Amino acid sequence: MNILNIKYEKYTLSNGLEIILHQNKNLPITAVNVWYKVGSAFEKRGKTGLAHLFEHMMFQGSQHAPKEMHFRYIQEAGGTLNGSTNFDRTNYYEKIPSNFLELALWLESDRMGFLLPALNQEKLKNQKDVVLNERLERYDNQPYGLAWEKILAALFPPEHPYSWPTIGSIEDIKSYTIEDVTNFFKKHYSPSNAALVVAGDFEFSTCKNLIENYFGSITSNGKPQELKCQSPVLSNTVVINHDEDVKLERIYLAWHSTNAFSSNDAVFDIIADILCGSKNSRLHKKLVFEKEIAQDVSAMQISGKFGGIFLIAATLKPGKSFDAIKEEIFKEINKLQVEGVSTKELLKSKNGIKANFINSLQQIDNLADHLNSYNYYLSEPNSFLYDLNRYEVIDNDFLMQTSKIYLSKSFVELRINPTKKISK
Amino acid sequence: MKINRSIAPSLKDEIEFKLPEIKSLSLSNGLRVLFIERNFLPLIKMQLITSCGSIYDPEGKNGLANLFSMMIDEGADEFNSLELSEEFDMLGSSFTISCNHDNVFLSIQTLTENLERSLELLSKVILKPHFDLHDFKREQNKVKVMLMQQHDDAEILADLAFSHLIHARGAYANSVLGYEDSVDQIIVNDVIDFFKNFFAPENSHLVISGNISETVLIDLLEKYLHEWNNRKKNTAVNIKRVFQPRSIYILNKENSVQTEIRIGHQAEKRNSLDYFPKTIMNMILGGQFVSRINLNLREAKGFTYGASSNFTHYKNLSEFCTAVSVATDNSLAAVNEIILELNKIKEGVTLKELLFAKDSLIRRFPLQFESNSQIITNLSALAIHELPINYFNEYLNNIKQVNQEDVKNAAIKNLKLDELSILLVGNQREIAKQLSKSQHERINYINFRGEIIG
Repeated sequence: MNILNIKYEKYTLSNGLEIILHQNKNLPITAVNVWYKVGSAFEKRGKTGLAHLFEHMMFQGSQHAPKEMHFRYIQEAGGTLNGSTNFDRTNYYEKIPSNFLELALWLESDRMGFLLPALNQEKLKNQKDVVLNERLERYDNQPYGLAWEKILAALFPPEHPYSWPTIGSIEDIKSYTIEDVTNFFKKHYSPSNAALVVAGDFEFSTCKNLIENYFGSITSNGKPQELKCQSPVLSNTVVINHDEDVKLERIYLAWHSTNAFSSNDAVFDIIADILCGSKNSRLHKKLVFEKEIAQDVSAMQISGKFGGIFLIAATLKPGKSFDAIKEEIFKEINKLQVEGVSTKELLKSKNGIKANFINSLQQIDNLADHLNSYNYYLSEPNSFLYDLNRYEVIDNDFLMQTSKIYLSKSFVELRINPTKKISK
Repeated sequence: MKINRSIAPSLKDEIEFKLPEIKSLSLSNGLRVLFIERNFLPLIKMQLITSCGSIYDPEGKNGLANLFSMMIDEGADEFNSLELSEEFDMLGSSFTISCNHDNVFLSIQTLTENLERSLELLSKVILKPHFDLHDFKREQNKVKVMLMQQHDDAEILADLAFSHLIHARGAYANSVLGYEDSVDQIIVNDVIDFFKNFFAPENSHLVISGNISETVLIDLLEKYLHEWNNRKKNTAVNIKRVFQPRSIYILNKENSVQTEIRIGHQAEKRNSLDYFPKTIMNMILGGQFVSRINLNLREAKGFTYGASSNFTHYKNLSEFCTAVSVATDNSLAAVNEIILELNKIKEGVTLKELLFAKDSLIRRFPLQFESNSQIITNLSALAIHELPINYFNEYLNNIKQVNQEDVKNAAIKNLKLDELSILLVGNQREIAKQLSKSQHERINYINFRGEIIG
């Protein structure tokens, strides 16, 4: 498909910053998207959550654009902006009317090159408070909000960098010092450890000049040592019971799956969809629709550079048992392993994935982030067709084989038990 | 070229943005259609908006409109519930339904090549839904469990209780999902009657954005929807403006580590005369990241991950609400800061703040017509609030005309400090301890339906 062939130009500045340009003049809008090749996986135990806290500090002003001004300038320009942190990377992005491209480049280059002179204790304390509140709001005070943290800790050995969540622990967040933040910047925020995408409405020569002017003079700190970690193995199945102030029981089952973009990665997306992705998907149909023993059921493949997790979660209807749900889930897994799926089911999944994929290309900021993602994981920004084709080639044998290899292994079972039982 | 990093780059030229043409059409059955053609990608999105939301729930049967919306795609014509869903899935088309106080929304997102089949399926849903008893029991049960789960979530509880407090006994007070006792009262025939009485082309709009020409689209719509000829029944709805005296409320949520705060009041319906000054006033107050409330509570005090204020516009009324969640210890301090900001903005805004807000809105305009989803949101606003068809053509001029005096007047007129409902949801004992040391009004202890319990 032609629409998935996204043309780009890629080059590297002398300081090591990778540049990827994709022109699209449909609308007078431009996206700027920077990936730093650092996420929570690059943290050390005792300082978990630092990559995410650092993302907050990047919005606290740099030498030439003081606190709040990054937001202020971009919003005044009518643009949108944000950043996000996951296991593998941290990204920062702006979407602006195309006449404000220089403004976005000025701001991104200032915090890439001149963050430290503007850093101070007061800002750090403020953002530690903000992040602590973020943790309370999005995890501790959310129903089932601590499940993810518990699953990671049980599934991965403590030395594996996916064994803690991106947000970090409360004690660790409280412990960060200016020195921690400074060292983190020096180690990971060098232009040589980042990639900049500009996508949308711009002129190549002007854009390249601007990039050279704003980013070219930022000095490189070299590249951090490459992170190596062993493929995690779970030798025995782990069952965790956790009491929480919720009304309904919930069960989570988590297996080690495979790394992002490895050969089995896409198969797990398809398995997740066939099990839980639609009303007529196997587990939804069985648990929610026919037997009515679950209120909801979901499955997903979460994969990164250093590991993958295949997760199934179901909330029990009042008065139903964990064992009944678990039995049905394993019956369906067994069916996948022994009988596989029908041609129609496979086609249905592929059609849905393809439509969603095309749909996601409507927004230029999304497209820019895709280019950076493919560049990071596959070293080829224009991997849209390749990515979609990963799904197209999956057949029943491949799916059966994947589920046999991975879903027969030990897993983590987390049961959330309501502290107060409902009387029925 | 030598660059000077010390000053923000100056703007060199203006962009050219041509607002896409909005077509206002109607079908032979009276269904009104708003359409924007857009050919960048082979995609189409459409949304059928029917004015049959929860404000039309009969007394004692709260949750009926929502149950209707959950039932309408549970089987249609030759397909049962699962088969129908499967038909959409095979196309890669997504078909979703939602319900709020005013409307029920049926939305389809599809590749252009699958538009016709998607429309054919939609027509089955609209014309020949099954409303089977067995499906009804299952969906009813699902809602009852959802209602149970709501009590786990402080954010949801706060929103529910706040609506009850500010709308008193009016139709907008009630929960869209209903209540355990009211959902129990609903029978499948109620759903069927609701469908017959409220689901009609005359109180619906179809909004569409995407890769298709007007003539082909109209032919397809006529082909699949012309038989839809339900007539709407006239029903009175309790939507009168109520005035609540300023009061403070606590809703207990034991074991909460945070307090969910809602501060606000009922307000007038969306009004063309002061909509723009009001929007700009709220942007400065709490409608964006660099608003006064967020900068104060987040960036200066570190009380929260984010704080905001909003006017939510219903068809017949609106509500003004400031929302924030803070660590329990900061509950009182956060309330005080918000009230301080509400008072302060009535003294007016600076010219700098005004220009900032106006520039932001004006320049953001092209970015709001990028995806089909955004266009659907814009077209839906036209439909729901009965805005003139040239609303977006006049939008920039309307923003440009707003001055400081207008914004000040909008604050004075629209922020009613003597009507504030101040709601705190969290650890009751800790919150009450903080409030008892303050100058605030007597505390009312409430349940999630806004009823005083102590």
